[in-house]
Amino acid sequence: MKTIIFIAITLLAGAIAGTILGAINQVAVEPYIDHAVELEMQNTNQSNQIINPAEFTAYRLWQRGGEMLAGTILGLSIGSLFGIVFAYTHNSVPGSNNKKKALIVAGIMWFVLFLIPALKYPANPPAVGDPETIYYRQSLYVAFLVISGFSALGLAFLYRKMGALNIKKAIIPAVYAAIISGAYLAMPANPDPINAPMDLVIGFRITSAITISMFWGLLGVIFGTFWDKLNPSKTARISVR
Amino acid sequence: MLVSNQITKTSAGVPRVAVGILLGVLAFGVFIVGFDQGEILGFTVPADGSGGEPGTNWAHEFYHDMRHAAGFPCH
Repeated sequence: MKTIIFIAITLLAGAIAGTILGAINQVAVEPYIDHAVELEMQNTNQSNQIINPAEFTAYRLWQRGGEMLAGTILGLSIGSLFGIVFAYTHNSVPGSNNKKKALIVAGIMWFVLFLIPALKYPANPPAVGDPETIYYRQSLYVAFLVISGFSALGLAFLYRKMGALNIKKAIIPAVYAAIISGAYLAMPANPDPINAPMDLVIGFRITSAITISMFWGLLGVIFGTFWDKLNPSKTARISVR
Repeated sequence: MLVSNQITKTSAGVPRVAVGILLGVLAFGVFIVGFDQGEILGFTVPADGSGGEPGTNWAHEFYHDMRHAAGFPCH
């Protein structure tokens, strides 16, 4: 495999998809975050803390502007994991071209690394969450992510080991569902109460889930297109006369 | 008569160097966007001069909105 091309297309696909995510979030998700931050500020005002409006505006501009670069960095990092997984699995993934294969891999990773953890610990806008519990909530989120991710990884190896056995198509998803159901029931809920309006929280969750899902789809399409065009698996062309 | 054949060699192996670099990018990027509570660049002066309390660090605040939008826990 051509190392440089593999790294380059992985990082480029992630950066493009992540930057597009950041740009779309400016329009789709930011109105919810703005509303939630305003609620936070109202609560702060009620607790007799003084907020300078000019400083607050600059602070929000900094946060909003950062979302674009944060999208690029998040895209680079998730794209890196995606590239590694695709490189190891693309020969055994069904699909007539690498774009289709990449979309399948992206769909599985979206399910395992985004949807499943989000069902247990859904995204929350800024007005939800106690700063005192942040490290505990992060631990819970990471634990659930690790359970989902490593279960899927282990079961993918088992799926390969089972060879041509047809029953694996039923057993492997059933085992994954059993592990996730057990973890879902065993792990504690988010400890923080939701004091923000539920229409704000639900609107934020749905919109952010749509944009993240779009990111995963874009990542698959862009990466697969690059892979088809530049095929880093091909290492040498030898002409014999 | 001239016979010309072209052989394309395809390697299934994934270079370890590439995996190492990409895992590094993954760890760094996910940490700063998803989990940093002031640890990264916490030594710099935060916007409110509080000395790097979690939630006030400028780097933490720079990634704040994406952290929420991507589903990571935040303050």
